[in-house]
Amino acid sequence: MKDGRFLTLGIETSCDETAASVVADGRFVMSNVISSQIDIHTAYGGVVPEIASRKHLECINDVIGKALDDACVSAGEIDLIGVTYGPGLVGALLIGVAAAKAMAYACDIPLVGVNHMHGHIAANYLEHKDLEPPFMALIVSGGHTEIVNVPEYNKCEKLGGTRDDAAGEAFDKVARVIGLGYPGGPKIDRAAKEGDRESIAFKRVYLEQGSLDFSFSGLKTQALNYLNQERQAGREINVDNVAASFQEAVVEVIADKAVMAAEKYGQKRIVMAGGVASNSRLRTLMEEKAGEKGIDVLKPSPVLCTDNGAMIASAAYYAYRAGAKPDLELDAVPGLEF
Amino acid sequence: MKILAIETTGKYGSAAVIDETGLIFSAASNEEMNHLKGMMSLIDEALSEAGIKKSELTHIAASVGPGSFTGIRIGVVTARVMAQMLDLPCVSVSSLEAMAERVLDAAVSAGSLYVVPVINARRHQTYAGVWEAEFTSDYEKKTLCPVMEEKQYMIEDLLDALSARITEKEAEASGRVQSLKAMLGNAVYFTGDGIDAYEEMIRNSLPEGLYVFAGEDLRYQHAESVARIALRKAVSGDTLTYSGLMPEYMRLAEAEQRLRAGTLSDRIRKPVKL
Repeated sequence: MKDGRFLTLGIETSCDETAASVVADGRFVMSNVISSQIDIHTAYGGVVPEIASRKHLECINDVIGKALDDACVSAGEIDLIGVTYGPGLVGALLIGVAAAKAMAYACDIPLVGVNHMHGHIAANYLEHKDLEPPFMALIVSGGHTEIVNVPEYNKCEKLGGTRDDAAGEAFDKVARVIGLGYPGGPKIDRAAKEGDRESIAFKRVYLEQGSLDFSFSGLKTQALNYLNQERQAGREINVDNVAASFQEAVVEVIADKAVMAAEKYGQKRIVMAGGVASNSRLRTLMEEKAGEKGIDVLKPSPVLCTDNGAMIASAAYYAYRAGAKPDLELDAVPGLEF
Repeated sequence: MKILAIETTGKYGSAAVIDETGLIFSAASNEEMNHLKGMMSLIDEALSEAGIKKSELTHIAASVGPGSFTGIRIGVVTARVMAQMLDLPCVSVSSLEAMAERVLDAAVSAGSLYVVPVINARRHQTYAGVWEAEFTSDYEKKTLCPVMEEKQYMIEDLLDALSARITEKEAEASGRVQSLKAMLGNAVYFTGDGIDAYEEMIRNSLPEGLYVFAGEDLRYQHAESVARIALRKAVSGDTLTYSGLMPEYMRLAEAEQRLRAGTLSDRIRKPVKL
């Protein structure tokens, strides 16, 4: 507690970001430290779990220390620790969980485990101080593409998800085949701005009538087939056009389904979350399509879209307030469901 | 001096507290690979058994490997963060040395010359080290002197090296001692889960009667021996800050080995050129 404000330390290590943050009253970011390993994993073309785990261990103390320093608070002033315990890479998760438990024990601070996906949604509480449930949430990231109804704090009803690749995964795969490399999301987003999104007809996969699920694995095959066909015909390939057309096929389906879900459940707001929520075309299209139906679209700033500790702190704060029991026997759950 | 020692490099996690007189209290898990879930309870149990508050601790020690990569990390992170938050120095202890320490009395009683902890690293690989058990001049205390580097060995290479050492000792003794067995009986004292994995290979490559296997009660890692080594190190000032406490994996991550060897899949390394 400092100046009458309840302080939560959030710790996040579920993939390739070592992150910690201090958040006041579940809403105000006092510090947000993110140590990214992206440069290390680029050499391998993707995240290598064992290397990620090793790196998390080397960074975790400094990241926590800096989060406290940046917020100008001491460990003793922290009222609650929240840590991501799943879903994610098990070896990566356990660094954060072990660190959180050691700190909770050493400093006598209650600890609650946070579902990483709830954290992504909570990022919006930090960005939009007046936002309260109910709302519809759209989570798009390297590992997830999900539509979730949020009737109240800490209550998430998953309505649809991907049946194969997550949106971010599809971006990575296609970026690799067109030579843009890793990480695919930002690179495709950038190239697409120079390209014509109607130049190549990639199929939109809507699945059964009314389904809120996604399927993106076919797009990679389509991209490969297109490249082969053009190469055989001796035509030069315009990478920007491929990126723009592919991206459009992904984000159009996502936007349509998110809006459909909001209408179906009578939600007047859609909040976006996850790394791919930073995609500029997805942001624009969401606003267009939701706007036509009188639905507001809220999104966190890019720094809160990536994996971070602040969103975990916010989710932990609301879980604790709702009565989540502190747990020093917390375990990592790599396949944690919503 | 009050040291908390953590051992999570093997199958069963444990925690121990030792004071300057060498008095030890410990708690061990009987559930396999329960390190992450159970560690704080074990630490709490060891501290309350010892009647020590965490604010009274002076050092945090951890067994830093080799062993299970995941296990090593849980122990090291726990120690690092506790040390950071309680503002205490750390002590780094080798899991292999602690395993040797654990069986030292038993090895000396068995008349063994070499103490050899062997950790199974699969596919004929091991992490191992070789220590010579020595008596100090007063014949009261026993100590361990490293004679072969702690590192990754193929089990065959380790056994060859041990055979060579025994042959050497035999030559030294030739003419003076009638029976080799009388002099070198139980010469090698094996411990660690490497026994479970490679018992047959050991039996096939060393002469019967020249080696002993540690009983299961002493065979695996335990925080008590980590604590004893940590006490000696702390007394001699061999301590680190929390950020200096690092895992001793003894092996690169597989992807890193391949990257260095240039055998990482081309598909991954180089994007398709158009």
